[in-house]
Amino acid sequence: MTANVETLRSAFASAEIGLPADGIPTIRVPLVELTSAVQRVTRDLGFNRFVDLTAIDRLTSEERFELVYLFYSMQRHTWLRLKTRTDSEAPSITEQIPGANWYEREVWDLFGVRFEGHPELRRIMLPDDWQGHPLRRSEPLGFEPVDFTVTRDVYGGVGSQVSGLGEHA
Amino acid sequence: MTADTRHLIPGTSERSERELLTVNMGPQHPSTHGVLRLELRLDGEVVVHCRPVIGYLHTGIEKTFEAKTYVQGVVLTDRMDYLNPLGNNLAYALSIEKLIGCEIPERATVLRVLLAELTRIASHLMFVGSIALDLGASSPFLYVWREREKILDFFERISGVRMMTSFIRPGGLVRDIEPAIVSDISRFIDEMPAYIDSYEELLTANPIFRERTEGIGGLSADDALALAVTGPTLRASSVDFDVRKSNPYCGYETYDFAIPTGTVGDCYDRYLVRVAEMRESVKICRQALDRLTEGSVRTEDRKVMPPPREELAKSMEAVIHHFKLWTEGIKPPPGEAYVGVESPRGELGFFVVSDGTGRPIRVHERAPSFANLQALPKLTEGGMVADVVACIASLDPILGEVDR
Repeated sequence: MTANVETLRSAFASAEIGLPADGIPTIRVPLVELTSAVQRVTRDLGFNRFVDLTAIDRLTSEERFELVYLFYSMQRHTWLRLKTRTDSEAPSITEQIPGANWYEREVWDLFGVRFEGHPELRRIMLPDDWQGHPLRRSEPLGFEPVDFTVTRDVYGGVGSQVSGLGEHA
Repeated sequence: MTADTRHLIPGTSERSERELLTVNMGPQHPSTHGVLRLELRLDGEVVVHCRPVIGYLHTGIEKTFEAKTYVQGVVLTDRMDYLNPLGNNLAYALSIEKLIGCEIPERATVLRVLLAELTRIASHLMFVGSIALDLGASSPFLYVWREREKILDFFERISGVRMMTSFIRPGGLVRDIEPAIVSDISRFIDEMPAYIDSYEELLTANPIFRERTEGIGGLSADDALALAVTGPTLRASSVDFDVRKSNPYCGYETYDFAIPTGTVGDCYDRYLVRVAEMRESVKICRQALDRLTEGSVRTEDRKVMPPPREELAKSMEAVIHHFKLWTEGIKPPPGEAYVGVESPRGELGFFVVSDGTGRPIRVHERAPSFANLQALPKLTEGGMVADVVACIASLDPILGEVDR
């Protein structure tokens, strides 16, 4: 694993490389270098299988979303994580890696990160007319109250509208 | 990865000149394994364009995780892939244990392997039954259901619940398994190969079944890798990749088993790979039963698992640990962890991000069905509309896991 990290250090001289608790080497690249980094990781370094893409909402004022790409080398049998930060947009990698298609749509749907150059960036989990992006941590959890006689004073009777947890918690 | 992958991106293929008929298959269709909708564009009976529409089972599970403690989250993992509840528990528990860095007793690890493989057999039984049923053979379904019931009965005796067991938790197992259940499982494992023979007698050489699956829905190894496909679907396309072999967890490197692979990657190969995998799982179960030793099934780490009841009456420290665990839950150090495991459908992993508090800030499931289902347009386009059913069944998608 350490030899692996050394290889990555020489390939990504300027980038920050970490080794978190799970032992998967993690490279942080600026957003502008994402496309070239993905190309180098998948072609030159041999991490030829795309595994996963997701986002983390860090709730910071700038570069709020952390995009987390996971790749796997079918020869060396190791994973590799690629991270970048963005406010709301990122370049799409679906042209290079067709497997990223639905993953980018999912991140767009649930976090609202727009992937430039994606062939059909539509919502995937939620209905097309849905407002908002629910996996953002600023979105309330939301629930529909069940009508019990003991909770009627709090929520009202059947048919009353309660929009989210924020108003009652 | 090959250079030209444009043909794998939907909407970029050439359009037919002729007038096409648009047909909605699903979301309420018996052969779509849950609520999957396919928008098919047909030229006569030939599928020109297939667009899967998912999300009908989306229940915001990943959002719900953020409001639960780590142990409460186990309950949500059962409900993602409901045919592989113990495997999902295991993947989630392994990620959190990796984050904390806690050791699991030997007996718990062996029992985890046993339970995960029993779940794999139960899931593949369901696959064999449903692909036969989708192609018009209703009797295999009854036979596989008989054996699946036996496995679910074991789960009920072990945990009290047949499907949503939540039995594997961070730090070990909920409780030990009684010797009587272990010996019953052992007897079942001895009988299982003969049962698998009987399903194969019904299907493997069946001319109708072979005609409906051979040469249907072919997927090349390069295309499968480019579309992030894993599991039996990838192995049927002759790629011998299995997380249990390449990145062993729970001591899988010490078990003797083979990775069955296919040759052409059609629906029939995917069926054969899964049936062969059932036989390998039986072998693993036998080895796990043979090496089962006495001992604890819970970690000694009191920050992860509560102390046993008898300690509470004697030790103040035990009371404090108990109180802290039940009020605040497990508190992993800040960081993130992903552990890939081999689910019956492919590479499954939970990406868990902790900020040091009792609740995760992000839990993401790398769901194998989600990635595998992306290959469906590739499998069906150019084929007949009746074969779409065989293609869906051969991918064995679980929509609970796709939509989360």
